[in-house]
Amino acid sequence: MVRVKSRYLLCEINVSDRRELLKLDDRAVAGTVKAAVARTHGDYGAALCSIRFCVKYLNAHTGIVFLRFPKGCYKLLWSALPFITSIECRGQIIPCFLNCLHVGGTIRTCQKFLIRYNTQQLHRMLPKCKNEEEKRQIQKAILSFSLTGGGNKALEDELESEEEDGE
Amino acid sequence: MSVFMDLNVLFSADRSRMQSLVETAAHLGFSTVAINYVFEPTTKKKQEVPSPVPISELIGQLPVVQGRSRPIKVLNRLTVVMSEASHFRPNATEYRAFDLLAIQPTTEKLFHTTCMLCDVDIICISVTEKLPFFFKRAPINGAIDRGVVFEVSYASALRDSTMRRYTIANAVCLMESCKGKNVIVSSAAEKALELRGPYDIVNLGALFGLSDADSKEAVSSTCRAVLLHAETRKTASGIVYTRISQQEALQDCVGSEAPAAKRPKPT
Repeated sequence: MVRVKSRYLLCEINVSDRRELLKLDDRAVAGTVKAAVARTHGDYGAALCSIRFCVKYLNAHTGIVFLRFPKGCYKLLWSALPFITSIECRGQIIPCFLNCLHVGGTIRTCQKFLIRYNTQQLHRMLPKCKNEEEKRQIQKAILSFSLTGGGNKALEDELESEEEDGE
Repeated sequence: MSVFMDLNVLFSADRSRMQSLVETAAHLGFSTVAINYVFEPTTKKKQEVPSPVPISELIGQLPVVQGRSRPIKVLNRLTVVMSEASHFRPNATEYRAFDLLAIQPTTEKLFHTTCMLCDVDIICISVTEKLPFFFKRAPINGAIDRGVVFEVSYASALRDSTMRRYTIANAVCLMESCKGKNVIVSSAAEKALELRGPYDIVNLGALFGLSDADSKEAVSSTCRAVLLHAETRKTASGIVYTRISQQEALQDCVGSEAPAAKRPKPT
């Protein structure tokens, strides 16, 4: 009865240039979200944002963030997220936008969705492989997905190697 | 899983920009995108209606939509910004090259004419200025009966705070008069960074005064209704027929005078 419920928003940060992603850190993202909510919904929004909001997880290689909001007002705070046009981090402004993929009640459900999503991303990358070596790597990564976090690491490696070969 | 569409992506001559726009849209999950050519005729000199660049020239290979196995569909659309009724000539030959037709009226009388008479699919509500006229129920209901939709675009809201106020004000005004039916929300994106994911737009619709269900419809089923309406506009008296081809079976057909297989919900 007395369980405090939150909503976890799984968002993907899209940038035009992948290398910019690596400069992000969670405090910058949290600051940007709070500023955007304050701009859109004023003092009321800023107050709601201070209740139980935090950035639970940030993956700089793939650009995935988990944001936690209180359950009662997550829609209002979610509606301010599309207005984010850039994230400022350590003095640099990175133009980007947030794309929400999934809303979950617990971190575990978000993680399960993320693993399925990463599998789909790897499947999408498969036709773009340039040589056999990469194909084998991706197929191995797809087969090695599990809930213990192996999936995320595999995707990061793949994305990095894809970038290096693509440039 | 419903199909999400973004029916307003501004055309620019820069090929790489269009390419990145379409790729981002496919990555976000939009199944269809319409490239918008804005045409603003002035009475001073005669201007030509721009002709659409063929899709194969513009974008090399169409990327596959996230979550589906088909490539993204790209259509052409023309928006005519009108301040006088003579600007829009129905059945002009140049309009045939475009899949969708839209009008942006700037005066009240023109809004009334567009809703009741003009042969278009989309009526754009301008978001960059405070509306000079109020919406009346009569022409809006007339447009809803004919199957014409109203469009609100959100890219200018992302750029500037004053634009944000105008967008929300105009959108809320529209929703009051039309009760949330026959509305689509689209980006008027010039760059790939101005697109937003479909679920984010559904949430934005809640800001504009739409209910949850109406908001989701605004991005999915109403857009599909617009496409069907546009197809019937090209054929005589709205009879649509389909043929089964080898690769795919096309959608269901309607064999009556009423256009649009997917009608908006009757009152």
